[in-house]
Amino acid sequence: MTEPSSSYSLSSKKRPRSPNDNGEHPLDRDQICPSLEDNLTFNDTMIALQLMRTQFPKLEKVVVQPFILQSQLYSSVKDRTQVDRDLESFKKDKVLRIFKLSSGQDDHAIMFLDDYLKQVAFAIKRSGGKEQDGSEVFDWFEKYVIPSKLDVSINQLQLCSLLSQGGDVTDKHITLLMNAGLLTRQLIDPNIYWFSIPRIGPILKGLSQGRKEILSLLNRKKYKGMLLSSLEKTKLRLSPLDTRFLIRDLIGSGQIKTVQTPTGLLARITRD
Amino acid sequence: MWWEEVRRRERGELRAGRFEAAARARRAASLALSNSKEFATPHHGAVNSLQVDLTEGRYLLSGASDGSAAVFDAWNATECQSGFIAKHKHILLVDKQHQNGHKFAISAAVWYPVDTGLFVTASFDQFVKVWDTNSTQVIMDFKMPGKVFAAAMSPIATTHMLIATGSADVQVRLCDIASGAFTHTLSGHRDGIMSLEWSASSEWILMSGGCDGAIRFWDIRRAGCFRVLDQSQSQLGRRPPLLKSTTENDHIDSLGPSTSTRSLAQKRTGNSKKNSPTLRKSQKLTHGPMQQRLHPGLSSSQNRATSHYGAVTGLRTTKDGMYLLSSGSDSRLRLWDIDSGCNTLVNFEAMRLQTGKPLQLAVTDDPSIVFVPCMASIKAYNIWSGTTYRTFRGHYELVNCCYYREQDQELYTGSNDRQILVWSPSTPAFTEMEDDEKRHGLSAADDDNWSD
Repeated sequence: MTEPSSSYSLSSKKRPRSPNDNGEHPLDRDQICPSLEDNLTFNDTMIALQLMRTQFPKLEKVVVQPFILQSQLYSSVKDRTQVDRDLESFKKDKVLRIFKLSSGQDDHAIMFLDDYLKQVAFAIKRSGGKEQDGSEVFDWFEKYVIPSKLDVSINQLQLCSLLSQGGDVTDKHITLLMNAGLLTRQLIDPNIYWFSIPRIGPILKGLSQGRKEILSLLNRKKYKGMLLSSLEKTKLRLSPLDTRFLIRDLIGSGQIKTVQTPTGLLARITRD
Repeated sequence: MWWEEVRRRERGELRAGRFEAAARARRAASLALSNSKEFATPHHGAVNSLQVDLTEGRYLLSGASDGSAAVFDAWNATECQSGFIAKHKHILLVDKQHQNGHKFAISAAVWYPVDTGLFVTASFDQFVKVWDTNSTQVIMDFKMPGKVFAAAMSPIATTHMLIATGSADVQVRLCDIASGAFTHTLSGHRDGIMSLEWSASSEWILMSGGCDGAIRFWDIRRAGCFRVLDQSQSQLGRRPPLLKSTTENDHIDSLGPSTSTRSLAQKRTGNSKKNSPTLRKSQKLTHGPMQQRLHPGLSSSQNRATSHYGAVTGLRTTKDGMYLLSSGSDSRLRLWDIDSGCNTLVNFEAMRLQTGKPLQLAVTDDPSIVFVPCMASIKAYNIWSGTTYRTFRGHYELVNCCYYREQDQELYTGSNDRQILVWSPSTPAFTEMEDDEKRHGLSAADDDNWSD
């Protein structure tokens, strides 16, 4: 990728977007990781997705392919309806997949298809590999289920019918899929399996802890707000995730709003 | 500007219909807390339901949590304080003291759509009562098997007078005023029903939203529901696309596994399933109980598609009967195209909605603005783009219901703080003129309002 300072066209949220904004900002203001302050808002969903994919926080202990939360996407692209429609068409073109996370609220994670397949391969290896009894189900899953079922969830009957294109399906096969983390159940409906990204448990925990910590940090302030630049620099105690990742997610889900002040952007808890 | 449009109309450049539509849209866009009108609410509990009668658009009916229902005249004030604020007091009040009144909270109060001689109230004491407005007596009541959350009557019905009622029980019951009995019981939901709405284009079609998150369309002349809205079936844009190849496959997948539809699916999706004999064989092995033939009316009960990830708390159709808005306890608002049954993917910006209580939404007639009660305020959204147009803050507590009266472009909202607030258009030029008139000592009373 070209040097970060010129590939990110920086402009604040309030000014209209101009992609040729490079020359205006002096080089010494741009750090290696540009601050969230010069908020990156885009008109194009794909550009936003690819950029946020590169900014995915790197953790030492966990190896995870990058994914993007839908709320983060909402906070960085202006028109939400357009985002939804673009996601739908990308989903149909099989460029990316959407997963419903089980972290309580209506959270969805978006992952590019090749990243997902890499993650699936990694998870299969970790969960016991190909020597297990019935491990041909992993191939069936990848060949039959993933390309044809593009939604976030799948019915029990459909799953069996799609997998049985490879051979006879028994409950043991489905147990293997669930143990590897490719399918989960949620409390909503007992007959539906939900697709999930395997082995992202620590990240989800970090996400919920981080959200709580940032919100409590802001709540303790007198006016429930803090400058975005200083908020970004705070190191979180309980969560290993990047603060910018969490802030974007909170802005997109509407729990924090940004207000323009003479000293920069201020992040404040929304009250309603 | 306003005068520019008048000039254009004068010159004949703008037609009458366009002129009127533009005037209505401008007035709807300038809504603010009314400084000339207010309702003196006699309720001692949260206001749960509001409706203006459909014949004249004059009388406002409100139902509250203390079991009281009140009728207000929205046109003529009962008194004027200092010539400025017109106070509207209730004309009629029925509450717990009434010998046949409701004992618990009233969750829905609707007018009889043909005239204002009758109104219907539904309450948590498991009764639905029909009242005569002039004599303030209960004419008939219907006992339901659970707390009643919603009641609705079709606004365009000419051949039937059925009250659709939804309660904590899984069945929607239709009560007939003419005979005093239950005529239909619609089964298909798997949990209680929180919201009901009759179609604006057909007097036979009813839409119900349940606590299981499903929205079902019922044709009351047939058995069973003919459609269940699924949030994963979507279309990009207002109109369904002409080539529906992918949406058709999804639609077939979500239908129940009854044998007749499954064979139809195999015929259509010919090349995607490779080994059809083994497919049928494995189906027989694993899904024995599904082989029994279901009554065609019950086949949709197998369909588990949901339109929200929580309960459906509010339903409202646009006046032209083409789109349906639904609000859910997952704090999402969705716009559905009724004809194709698809989610139009309009994203109404993040908000927290009240869960656990049915909400009443409102839409303007030329569907351009949606009013949604959002915690303690009402948000107005542009219906096609989903952007927040305005937030109306005025209530002190959670807002439950709102009703938009198209004639005068006024919005009435009721909330847990027992108040009904009026939001009216505030074009500055007009308010100046109104003030002048009032100052000249003209009474706000209407000279035509007399009777023998």
